[in-house]
Amino acid sequence: MVKPIIQVKDVSFTYPGSEEKVLNHANLSIDEGEFIAIIGGNGSGKSTLCKTFNGLIPQFYVGDFEGEVQLGDRETSKYSVAELSKDIGYVYQDFENQIMRPTVIDDASFAPLNFGLKDYQERGLWALEVTGISTIANEFIWQLSGGQKHLLAIAAVLSMKPKVLIVDEPVAQLDPQHAEEVYKVLKKLNEELGMTIIVIEHHAEFIADYCHSVVLMDQGRILWKEPVKTALSKVDELVLHGIYPPQITQAANRMQTTRHHCNGLPITLAEGIEYFCHFPQVIPFPYTEDRQKVPTKEQPIISFEKTALQFQDLRRQRKQVLHNIHTSFYEGERIAIVGNNGAGKSSLIKLIAGIVKPTSGEVKVLNHTATKASPEKLGKYVSYVYQNPEEMFIEDSIKKEIELFLKARKVPDFEETVKTILYDFALSELQDKDARLLSGGQKRRVSLAIAAAMQPHIILLDEPTANLDIATKKHVVHMLETLKEHVKTIIIATHDMQLVAEWATRIIVMHKGEIIADGNRYDIFGDELLLQKAGLIIPQIIELSLKLGLPKPLYTIEEFCSYFHSVEGEGLAYEYV
Amino acid sequence: MSIQKSYQLTQSQKMMVFILSMSLYGLSNMFTELIPSIQLGFIELSVEYFAFIPLTLCILFHPLYAAVGAALGEIIFGELMLGQFGGIGEVEKFITFSLGMFIAGILVRNPLNRKQVTFGVLAGLLIHHLLGTIVDIGKVWIGVEELEAISGLAESVIVIEGIALLNDLLFSGILFALLPTLYLVPRLYGKIEPLLGMKPRNNKVHYSLGQIVTPKLVVISVVLATVAFLSEFLSESDWAFGEWEPEFLETIGSWFIWVPISAAALISVIMLIVMRSKSKSNVKELKNLG
Amino acid sequence: MNMYKSLSDKFSLEYVKGELLKTAYGSGDTFLGRLDPRTLIFWYLFFAIVPWFIHNEIILVSFLLFMLMMTYLARVSRLILFILCIGLLSEITVLFIISLFFGGDLASIGPLFWLTIKLAVISLASVAIFTSLDPEKFSDALLRLGVPAQVSFSVSYGYRILPTLIEEFHKVILSYRLRGKPPEKTGLLYWRMGVYYMKILVLSFYPLILNGAKRSRTTVEALETKGFSHSTNNQDVKKLKTAYFSFHRNDYFFIAFSIFYIGLSFTLSIYY
Repeated sequence: MVKPIIQVKDVSFTYPGSEEKVLNHANLSIDEGEFIAIIGGNGSGKSTLCKTFNGLIPQFYVGDFEGEVQLGDRETSKYSVAELSKDIGYVYQDFENQIMRPTVIDDASFAPLNFGLKDYQERGLWALEVTGISTIANEFIWQLSGGQKHLLAIAAVLSMKPKVLIVDEPVAQLDPQHAEEVYKVLKKLNEELGMTIIVIEHHAEFIADYCHSVVLMDQGRILWKEPVKTALSKVDELVLHGIYPPQITQAANRMQTTRHHCNGLPITLAEGIEYFCHFPQVIPFPYTEDRQKVPTKEQPIISFEKTALQFQDLRRQRKQVLHNIHTSFYEGERIAIVGNNGAGKSSLIKLIAGIVKPTSGEVKVLNHTATKASPEKLGKYVSYVYQNPEEMFIEDSIKKEIELFLKARKVPDFEETVKTILYDFALSELQDKDARLLSGGQKRRVSLAIAAAMQPHIILLDEPTANLDIATKKHVVHMLETLKEHVKTIIIATHDMQLVAEWATRIIVMHKGEIIADGNRYDIFGDELLLQKAGLIIPQIIELSLKLGLPKPLYTIEEFCSYFHSVEGEGLAYEYV
Repeated sequence: MSIQKSYQLTQSQKMMVFILSMSLYGLSNMFTELIPSIQLGFIELSVEYFAFIPLTLCILFHPLYAAVGAALGEIIFGELMLGQFGGIGEVEKFITFSLGMFIAGILVRNPLNRKQVTFGVLAGLLIHHLLGTIVDIGKVWIGVEELEAISGLAESVIVIEGIALLNDLLFSGILFALLPTLYLVPRLYGKIEPLLGMKPRNNKVHYSLGQIVTPKLVVISVVLATVAFLSEFLSESDWAFGEWEPEFLETIGSWFIWVPISAAALISVIMLIVMRSKSKSNVKELKNLG
Repeated sequence: MNMYKSLSDKFSLEYVKGELLKTAYGSGDTFLGRLDPRTLIFWYLFFAIVPWFIHNEIILVSFLLFMLMMTYLARVSRLILFILCIGLLSEITVLFIISLFFGGDLASIGPLFWLTIKLAVISLASVAIFTSLDPEKFSDALLRLGVPAQVSFSVSYGYRILPTLIEEFHKVILSYRLRGKPPEKTGLLYWRMGVYYMKILVLSFYPLILNGAKRSRTTVEALETKGFSHSTNNQDVKKLKTAYFSFHRNDYFFIAFSIFYIGLSFTLSIYY
């Protein structure tokens, strides 16, 4: 009989100074050794729930708290947060802010040191070993990559050897390869050390691959807790709450016109292959790849001529970020720049915006040499949307954010423009609010609206779908269409291969500061060696179509489904469901 | 666990204010150290410091933690990190600065009342700079053997310090403390508190400024504030100077270590002993709070 | 010492970053850097306070020589020394010139000269010690000496967070620049540009304060979960944190030599 390690009994909570109940009579029980995912739309109370597990709520936040939470056999309100934290570790979504010390090993052993454990150094080293970053033990924090920082944040919590580990959005800020790495570490902790792992996660593919069970939350309530397969098969209910199950599950759900969930739908790639290989295929193949290129205008909008970029790091060592970039972009193209963290994607688009200047070579933007123009001047033609929208918020209301550029340049009738933009981006209602206080998706919308208001020829987006739940992501893709009416060329740097597959007409693959491929999705996603070299992980549906040996990769669920005869009534497929 | 009645912060919320104030004011200090000052003859128009950051935070949150955090931030970012740490000299700045900011913070009861904010800011700045000026003059006093014997020196010291004081108050005081504070406080009020998971400071208390501000009140409040600041500071910080002593003696094991440091010890330790005795009397109080 | 500070205007952001690392972590390899931090702090306390009360010229000169020796041992960067000298000289010169307006004469130079020497001793002592002292060690020493744990935490946290802060600040400033517009005319002595940049600099703290608030919330929550409050009131933890402190032969030698030297100066002053 497995013991429950966390029990939440009828818990409600309201933050001080707020009326709204963040948790509303929540009930939950988590067993020892579980690997569990908590899902729910933005603002459904997931993080707040997790903060009741280690006593941060109600001890740290003096709000209205009702109910009872037990960790093991201790009631959390009767023990200090520090005391409870010996048994439970918490890794934040903004994990960078929980790294306290200047060097890696110091940070990893910080908690055991604070608790006065004599073997704090050994514990720190052990934790680094487990997370696989012991080679960087003596580095300074500011020299680490995002992925390494995340592993360090986990290690720093592990050094207490807790029984429970909570990780809030483990992969939100990581590229797919590093995300996989983090999950492998979590799996190891769960299987080898018997640690209970709780993740807050939007990415259903990771849930399907790693978790045992799923908890769905909505508006502070816990709707249900189910084994992973049952949970992810409830496609319609999940979609209703803004959660998108794995593409394979969605496709399978669509193929089944009559609901029949006896064993649930396939949720992983392997199950998908098993499931779909028996489906009757439509012959002849209904799609012909749209291989025609956008007609090349004689005059490029942006051109790079043998551009190279170097940075000097804190130790005064030169670091080559971009090598010999030589390419041109044209009007009307939808360009996606892909590659792993550190491949040089962001640097490339920053060069276009004139935010960084090349060490050698030239960048021309609409016949202006970006190398010489100040950011203010280039701002007329190019607008750059940061990865983190909050970094663009400098005013105290959305309307003012959007006006700023137009007002500074004394554009006549700017009020009209602002109104149109507010309307186009569905922000009219929110215009007097401070952008920082909005939800993730709304923030992203504001950042796009700010860029559109600058009426640029070119718009540059750095990771426009990072940190968003899937429903909001879909909305952003829709927003890109809105943007198209305002600008000539859109360039996106992203990890999000689903976005690339559905949106881009031209894909540029970067690796270690060089462009290693440039073509359409057919060229890129069909080239397995290339994908491996660049560390790209293609969307599940494409991989499935390749694994099934279909004549060519299929990019969207719609395309995929139309390739098969849907199963009606007592079709053949049922035998295999 | 019910909603708090009066404006009181938990220990961790105080720590948030402290860290916020320390890191931001520290950062700003690093920049102001790097901004060139305009030299007009002997008069120096310098930016000096972005006092609006601690002022804003003192007015919005717990004045003590914001004030001490800022003063510490200045030492860490503006001095230690730039390799300009002045050692003991910084202690004086630390005390006068945090005192000034603290007073500004407690004088403002309603952050949305512009008059109150203006008055609080100016009072805080005046106290900080006046104390600083007195200490500076005092330094020359102690440093030069017979100051009065040298004609003109005392006067020139006072003139220089006086001009510096005016500059600090009228130039950087208004441009970099008062105006930005007036801009920021109403904008941040009610918006920043939820980010820290707390309630905004109560602004229900309304006074007309003319009624409450009399010269007598100003003098009394400054004196009281100083006392309040020192006692609160001591009770909040757990100074426990002296733990090292036995172990230190063991290691050294020789009496003569005390010969060279006795002079230093005499001056610094007397001060710290006074502080410790005060803090001991406050220990009970602290325990009750904690 | 205002002037010495204002002269530092030539530092760029890059320079600051570089200097930060150098002063922060490049100090352990000097003779002074290897001493126990507590030795250094006590030594410094003596030379920061005592000179104020000494008016004997011989003692002051011998102290100055001692400080020069220490500055050499600490390998203080030449730029800092240069700035220090300029600062001291100009401060005294201004004082002297103004004193002339109030009926002073050349006779005031004498006492001012000795004041300068005094200030030089004190400044050199602090420069020598604090370039030798690794900030981590310094904060640990403070902790051991009973300063509240929040202070010593803040010192090392400052080093941790600075690169992040600079990065964030940089981005906010860029947002203003990308979406704003500089004045068309630069104005006399670039005053318009100056005002434009100062305005941005001040305004940028509105977003920075809000972003900082979010950050410090996570930081303090995480501090709590990592048992920081547990450690602040616990003597054993403090001992454990500073367990690497130990007095070596060099510390005794250094202390003994300092005492000998100070004694010698005082003896000299009696005989001459």
